[in-house]
Amino acid sequence: MDTLKLEIVTPEGQIFCDDVKDVTLPGSEGEFGVYPGHASLVSLLQAGVIDIELDDGKHEVVAINWGHAKVDENSVTVLADGAVAIGGSSEGAIASSLENAKKLIESMSDSDVAIATATAKIESIARAGR
Amino acid sequence: MPNLKDIKRQIKSVENTRKTTKAMKLVSTAKLNRAKLAAQQSRVYADKINEVLSEIAYKINQYKIGGIESRFFEEISTPEKVDIVFVTADKGLCGGFNIQTIKEVNRLLAEYKEKKIKVRLRGVGKKGVAFFKFQDIELHSEYLGVSSAPTYEKAQEIMCEAVEDFKNGITDKVILVHNGYLNMISQELKVNHVVPINVPSEYESDSKSLMELEPEEDETILESLMKKYFEYNMYYSLIDSLAAEHSARMQAMENATKNATERVDKLTLAYNKARQESITTELIEIISGVESMK
Repeated sequence: MDTLKLEIVTPEGQIFCDDVKDVTLPGSEGEFGVYPGHASLVSLLQAGVIDIELDDGKHEVVAINWGHAKVDENSVTVLADGAVAIGGSSEGAIASSLENAKKLIESMSDSDVAIATATAKIESIARAGR
Repeated sequence: MPNLKDIKRQIKSVENTRKTTKAMKLVSTAKLNRAKLAAQQSRVYADKINEVLSEIAYKINQYKIGGIESRFFEEISTPEKVDIVFVTADKGLCGGFNIQTIKEVNRLLAEYKEKKIKVRLRGVGKKGVAFFKFQDIELHSEYLGVSSAPTYEKAQEIMCEAVEDFKNGITDKVILVHNGYLNMISQELKVNHVVPINVPSEYESDSKSLMELEPEEDETILESLMKKYFEYNMYYSLIDSLAAEHSARMQAMENATKNATERVDKLTLAYNKARQESITTELIEIISGVESMK
């Protein structure tokens, strides 16, 4: 099966780099999903969450505050200003990463609606994950 | 015969110098670790953003997409005015670190002079600025106190001016020169042609579809991406240069400490020789005095 090479980088280093099945990005014009074979695209990203579906069907979530995404047929590059991967081995680690992600989004986004949407999404994902 | 007191004083002085250089080395080592980490972390981002911009430039050139921003992507065959931004340290005592950058800038100056291209210099860091001032070479602008404590805001300020001039057609090219960090013991000189964004000649994109921009009604996305690209390149140069400066200083100070140790050894030897000589002379004097009394 085809996969996409996804890379998420921030000024603090690389957050994610792996082959994935598909990815959903928070574009400034609305959320969009990318599957292998997507047409080339450069998009502005707003504060929100990146939902990654891994090769084995598992989901990973990364929250970002602002950035750009470059998409072509077989790779996606996300240049984010700040990003927090949500997850961890223990309950505590997951909770603290969730807290960080919320803070990150609240610090960047100026509209309450965007914050609320993103936080709600993070929470729903967190619940689903547990 | 060398004076015993003089040698003693010299040894003391060299030992003091050694203490200073040793302390400076330790300080640099500590600072280097921090600066190195910062540089390595942002290298990934800098590389990626350059890669993305190169690909966009490639596509724009390939499909001849015009627009206000096209000036940023077109390589001008006969540039008339070039801006060189160079980054040196604010402090000395770091071996050949600053000299290397200055030499490269001088080489570029000579090269462009031959081609009859006007060059403007923008200097970052006290050492480089002082050098060119001493040579009576005019600097268009100078930024002091940035290279020892680089921040994103300062990088923004420097780059903003250079890019603004390019945008308005005052300059045709902006080159960034800095001495970057390679590893603990060596530095690497980096010359980066920031604008126009150059596409590697052998560049071959495996993606064949036309690139879409989103939001597409205006050019804000390219503008913001490019702004980020320029600023980040500048910022990266600053932190990379800082890491290199510390590694250079660490090495220079280590050499100085080593030299001082050798010097102390030599002086101690000379001191002991002189002491022995004086004892021998005194002995001879005493013995011959005793002999003469017999």
